[in-house]
Amino acid sequence: MTEPQPILSISNLQTRFATRYGLVTAVDGVSIDVMPGECVGVVGESGSGKSVTFASVMGLVKKPGWIDGGSITFEGRELVGMSDRDYKSLRGKDIAMTMQDALTALNPALTIGHQIMEVLLTHDDELTGSARHRKRGARDRAIEMMMLVGIPSPETRLNDYPHQFSGGMRQRIMIAIALACRPKLLIADEPTTALDVTIQAQVLELIAEIRQKLGMSVILITHDLGVVAEYCDRVAVMYAGQVIESGPTKLVIGHPSHPYTQGLLNSIPNLANLDKRIRPIEGQVPELINLSPGCRFIGRCDVHESACAQQVEMQNIGQGRAVRCVLPRRNKQ
Amino acid sequence: MNFGKFIERLAQLIPVLLGVLVIVFSMMALTPGDPVDIMIGDQPISAEQEANLRHDMGLDLPPVERFVKFLGNAITGDFGLSFFHRRPVLDVIAERLPATIELSLFSLILALLTSIPLGVLAALKKNTIFDRVSTVVSLFGVSLPGFWFGILLLMLFAVHLQILPVSGRIDYAYEVDAVTHLLLIDSLIAGRLDTFANVLSHLFLPALTLGLPMAAILMRVTRTSMLEVMSQDYIVFAEAKGISRTSILIRHALKNALIPTVTVAALETGSLLGGNMIVESVFGWPGLGRLVVESIFVRNYPLVQAAVLFYAVTYVFLNFFADILYTVLNPRVKL
Amino acid sequence: MSESATYVAIEKVSPLRRNLKIFMTSKLSTVAASFVIVFVGMALFAPWIAPHDPNETDLFLRLQPPAWIEGGDISYLLGCDGLGRDILSRIIYGARISIFIGVAVIVVATSIGIIAGLAAGYLRGWVDITISRLVDILVSFPYLIFAIALIGMIGAGLQNIILVLVYKEWVVPCRVVRGETLAAREIEYVEAARALGGSSRHIMLREILPNILSPVIVVSTIRMAHVIILEASLSFLGLGVQPPTASWGSMVADGRAFMLGAWWVSTFPGLAILFLVLAINVTSQGLRDAFDPKFHD
Repeated sequence: MTEPQPILSISNLQTRFATRYGLVTAVDGVSIDVMPGECVGVVGESGSGKSVTFASVMGLVKKPGWIDGGSITFEGRELVGMSDRDYKSLRGKDIAMTMQDALTALNPALTIGHQIMEVLLTHDDELTGSARHRKRGARDRAIEMMMLVGIPSPETRLNDYPHQFSGGMRQRIMIAIALACRPKLLIADEPTTALDVTIQAQVLELIAEIRQKLGMSVILITHDLGVVAEYCDRVAVMYAGQVIESGPTKLVIGHPSHPYTQGLLNSIPNLANLDKRIRPIEGQVPELINLSPGCRFIGRCDVHESACAQQVEMQNIGQGRAVRCVLPRRNKQ
Repeated sequence: MNFGKFIERLAQLIPVLLGVLVIVFSMMALTPGDPVDIMIGDQPISAEQEANLRHDMGLDLPPVERFVKFLGNAITGDFGLSFFHRRPVLDVIAERLPATIELSLFSLILALLTSIPLGVLAALKKNTIFDRVSTVVSLFGVSLPGFWFGILLLMLFAVHLQILPVSGRIDYAYEVDAVTHLLLIDSLIAGRLDTFANVLSHLFLPALTLGLPMAAILMRVTRTSMLEVMSQDYIVFAEAKGISRTSILIRHALKNALIPTVTVAALETGSLLGGNMIVESVFGWPGLGRLVVESIFVRNYPLVQAAVLFYAVTYVFLNFFADILYTVLNPRVKL
Repeated sequence: MSESATYVAIEKVSPLRRNLKIFMTSKLSTVAASFVIVFVGMALFAPWIAPHDPNETDLFLRLQPPAWIEGGDISYLLGCDGLGRDILSRIIYGARISIFIGVAVIVVATSIGIIAGLAAGYLRGWVDITISRLVDILVSFPYLIFAIALIGMIGAGLQNIILVLVYKEWVVPCRVVRGETLAAREIEYVEAARALGGSSRHIMLREILPNILSPVIVVSTIRMAHVIILEASLSFLGLGVQPPTASWGSMVADGRAFMLGAWWVSTFPGLAILFLVLAINVTSQGLRDAFDPKFHD
């Protein structure tokens, strides 16, 4: 039996930015695989490089940034260096992306109907016939999508503008747009950060539901470990441009291996155990310019060895897990 | 758009219009010198005729009553007689108005047609030579004194190269039936392309002079607005949807980017009204602007008063129009 | 990042001096500002710089071309006008008119504007309503038309031009100051001063004024360019300073009769206007960038 191939495989990706302060390596040797139908969580603070990684996947890294090395394959096809024309037929159709703030991601001057129908009419193999026929087909499909994501009275609301919807609704509209062409992979960048807690749950449930229905792969980019624990099969933890731990969610969160992951979990208030002290991680994220070759968590970690000052690679520690640490933890949380 | 709100906004103009009327009236009333004496000049006139004239002009009434009379006359369009032309003021103004309107409209269109593409291109090619050159050009455009630029153009094209006419709207040899009184349009209606070309050649230099400062401003506004729009998230999201660059430009970017351009254009059209006076004087354009300047020199006050009133009222409505336009174009802003 | 930017409202570090330093870092702005200073110098030292008496006519020199053209003379560098007057000297003296009027109008208008704006913005109530209404009405008149009509009424001449231009110009700083005052009166140090029992006038002058000066300065420089062009336009139409005083605008008008032959009569005065206004515009652009906290790095 052949091994199942990942639908998306990021391998040793390097993305850099030329800024006036120097060369910034935002993504330094990141490798992430996503299997078909899987939901992978990518966790990290701001500045960890998680958004840039997936902007690179979408081919949306603009000057002064560029992909300096590594490979990204989607369904076996190499994306790095692909022409813009080829990319355009992928984006929105096979790979779709949603952004953090739905208010700024939606064009305020266009109706949401227009914005949903637009992606349908661009990738038009489903719609056939005359222009009017295609438009009607797109319209029907747009209404279908709006119902799918739970927007009431879609026929009338098609002609409304983004500012006429609530935050949660706008996020759903963005999801409707992303999923309109039934993509194989959805990259959801912080889908819940700008939302109220109750709405967060609704949106995540929606994504999970659609994922099941369509057999879609999902990448959930977030800084919220709770979300990851609930919805993701596997998780990759990023820090300062590198993946520092990855593996099945239950194992990584239940028994974190990297000190940073452990620190993250310790920083979360525990509603079940109110007496337990929160221990924030001391120190700050390092500047991404002129980084020294060793582990980037040095200085914030409570242990230190001479090997930490040299290049640390990801090592497999069994059970599908890998960690970038010389002294990985084995103890319980 | 809510009709009620529209009427409400319109009503808010009334105090301003009233104030304008008061100011125009005061300007007249406070002019040193006796208006009747000025109007009569050296003409032999009997004491009775003089008294009648005074009475007609309402000069024998107390100020407040004079104002009310003025108000009444203004609304009915009676601005008295232009002694100089021996015709009602309103007629004289109406006769010269189309020339000014045609010049202003043509300048506006010319300015929009050049500034919008240039502004968009400058934004897309930010920091390239094209961008820097256009910045410099636009700076010159605002700093050039219009009257001087007009004279330079005349010297170059009309006097030395002799490829464009020196003054006027149309050569004597040509005639056109007046339908709209806008010669460009009338000549097209009549199907006379030679007349059209002739009118165009007359319009070109004045419109260039009048429209240049406006084009310079609009170009900057468009550029800034475009830059801001292109850095917005919704542009990135549109790209993530796989939409082509051209479609993004036209459907997503321009619609948002042109809002400030259009609003500023509407507001700046008012300054075109002022610029008219200069340009019409330089190019001998038979419009309202030149009429006003001439009238001032011959102390034809009733005409000046009426013209100023006309300009002010137009300006008020132009600004109002700009406000409305903005709410129409920007779905987020309600009336 | 410039951390001091966030502290300005509370610590009252002199924003003016800091901003001027930032202004100096832009080469272009400094060059432009130097040009302006050169023009001002020209105006101030005119009697010592000008080679000839600007009003001295000599019909033998009538329409003499500039020095580099055949028939010209180096002592009359830019040639002579229709009455044989030296154009260069007239341009130098003309700087006096343009700059004097520009500065006078702006200074007076800004002073009136600041007082009116402060009063309207801080005291609010009927003071604000009256002033705002007045501003709205005045703004309804297109600038040039209003100016021309007024000049027509009260006559031309140096004093009258200044009067007329001030009449329309004060609304600009007034609006700016009013806006800034409205915002400033909510800031903490004003509340603190109020709590300590300062009088209204004291608060307005000591607390609010220093901090609204930056935008006022920027706006005033931009407006000065407008005023100079306006004065030139009025003089061109014959409604400005009267002959024999040399104003760049009227000099251009004088040259109209000689467009075919003596192009220099109109061209050089206009160039002077262009360069001065250009220099002012670039300077004010630089000032705007320097004073705008968004540009601070």
